Amino acid sequence: MLSESARMASAAEARFRIDAPNAKPKRVKVIALDRPSEAVVKELAHKAWNGATFFTASAFAGAPPAGSFSMQGWLSDLAGRTKDLIDEVDSADLVVMVATAGENAQAAALIGEACSLKRITTTGLILGGASASDETLSKTLSQMRPWSLMLVIASAADYIEDMLIALRA
Amino acid sequence: MLRREQNDLLTQTGPGTPGGRLFRSYWLPALLAEELPGNDCPPVRVKLLSERLLAFRDSEGRLGLIDEFCAHRGVSLWFGRNEEAGLRCPYHGWKYDVTGQCIDVPSEPEESGFCKRIKLKSYPLVERGGVLWAYMGDPETQPPLPEWEFATVPDRQRFVSKRVQESNWLQAMEGGIDSSHVSFLHRGDLNSDPLFRGAKGNQYNMADSRPVFEVVESAGGLYIGARRNAENDHYYWRITQWVMPAFTMIAPRGNHSVHGHFWIPIDDHNCWTWSFDYHPIRNLTDAEIAAMKDGKGIHVRYVPGSFRPLANKDNDYLVDRAAQKAGKTYSGVEGIAMQDASLQESMGPIVDRTRENLVSTDNGIIMARHRLLRSVKALIDKGEVPPGVDPAHQKVRSAAVVLPRDQAFKDAAKDALLARPGVAPASV
Repeated sequence: MLSESARMASAAEARFRIDAPNAKPKRVKVIALDRPSEAVVKELAHKAWNGATFFTASAFAGAPPAGSFSMQGWLSDLAGRTKDLIDEVDSADLVVMVATAGENAQAAALIGEACSLKRITTTGLILGGASASDETLSKTLSQMRPWSLMLVIASAADYIEDMLIALRA
Repeated sequence: MLRREQNDLLTQTGPGTPGGRLFRSYWLPALLAEELPGNDCPPVRVKLLSERLLAFRDSEGRLGLIDEFCAHRGVSLWFGRNEEAGLRCPYHGWKYDVTGQCIDVPSEPEESGFCKRIKLKSYPLVERGGVLWAYMGDPETQPPLPEWEFATVPDRQRFVSKRVQESNWLQAMEGGIDSSHVSFLHRGDLNSDPLFRGAKGNQYNMADSRPVFEVVESAGGLYIGARRNAENDHYYWRITQWVMPAFTMIAPRGNHSVHGHFWIPIDDHNCWTWSFDYHPIRNLTDAEIAAMKDGKGIHVRYVPGSFRPLANKDNDYLVDRAAQKAGKTYSGVEGIAMQDASLQESMGPIVDRTRENLVSTDNGIIMARHRLLRSVKALIDKGEVPPGVDPAHQKVRSAAVVLPRDQAFKDAAKDALLARPGVAPASV
């Protein structure tokens, strides 16, 4: 007689798997941390998603050195409307931060801290890692690493789309 | 999550499939050299990439990998007589050499030249590092011989085994790059398995059960780094190598041997899990080899006379619920290899990836699929040679290192991630 494992792992038994949704839609917030990443994220935002929303914090990256920068309005949606970080994080299941190697990713600390407070998972994506110098990449990594539960250094921007699809974003 | 057509593309590797063409770009481990121990030894049936083949070593020591069935009436040549520089079908005496060329048809006059018109499909088969490697692709694009470090060290520094896994290759391979399951499924084995215990790195593992992951593309595939906190503003990094399409190498522990796997499709519902252990600069000890033969580390014990694990789905993997309850094993299955295989086989022959819910820590798997899909497309559309074919991509090592927190592992451990003859592995 076949063991239970042998019987149940067969291709024939796969037909009887329950075909009903097994998860609620995931609320994924994708935030570009700099201008080059913003262009990538804007293009992504035009595709069809299961509720993923897209933002930019590039104003923060382009801010002058400490002192003269206003904390108001640094996070916005792609239409330019100012968004409140805490509100956005509060309603997220996952926050994806997109940075470009060599650009200023200091917004990662603010976003990461908010996610940490709210116990929201963060993923960091660094684009252009393959062509960046070690020093350049290290600088961006050092800004992203403390705030990313998962950090991916991708050579091509098309990875982000595949990743978001894989995560059902 | 993968769309159904993407899942089909990556899991189907038979002749004529895009995924099959990808696998046919590489030298693949086909048999252990010990399966053909001497000239004129019995032939061995081999099924690879959904093709039924037969391997034999002729009277001159030449290796052959040919269509399993006689061109005359379709008899399996496994019953053949391996003698006098060829394999003779026992039914009517047709004889084939290692290239599949028919060299004798006793019922036909020799001068008729009939046998010259009969040739079975055959593939190159070469011996390297205790493994017989097959190349099943276009002869025009046959790559250089494999240069994996384990295959180039002296025999005494290496141990290789293989086992049948009753699932598609991809779900087996994905287990090899899924670092986050180790803290659950394999907990307990670090301190008890003779091939792991005693390493300082184990303490970092036990002290920090919430590793943080970094995935970085390499020339041949991926580096998957798992970092844990270490002393004085340092991180303990375990860096796994994945080289396309089906090679994974796990970070070493202390002065133990380095180990890894190949996951090679037999057909779409079964694969060979190859497991190797080696040390780049020293012989393996008798005790280490005895432990590996006894199924410790990443190896298994077998059903006698086969490469089927002793714990298999027909005996419910010898699951021990008392050991599970007592915390001796997490799933009730003993041994790292079968802990993995039992769960991967339970998914069914080909897991339905349209229904999965991946999370952030699955980015190693997501990136591997992304690279596989991209490479298949580039191969089919443009004829681009996929990553991992170039022997330079194969000269890699996994590594376990302690680094300052501000350093990128791919740069700080650059040398440690390369195979360097005579240099000890980077291990903690």
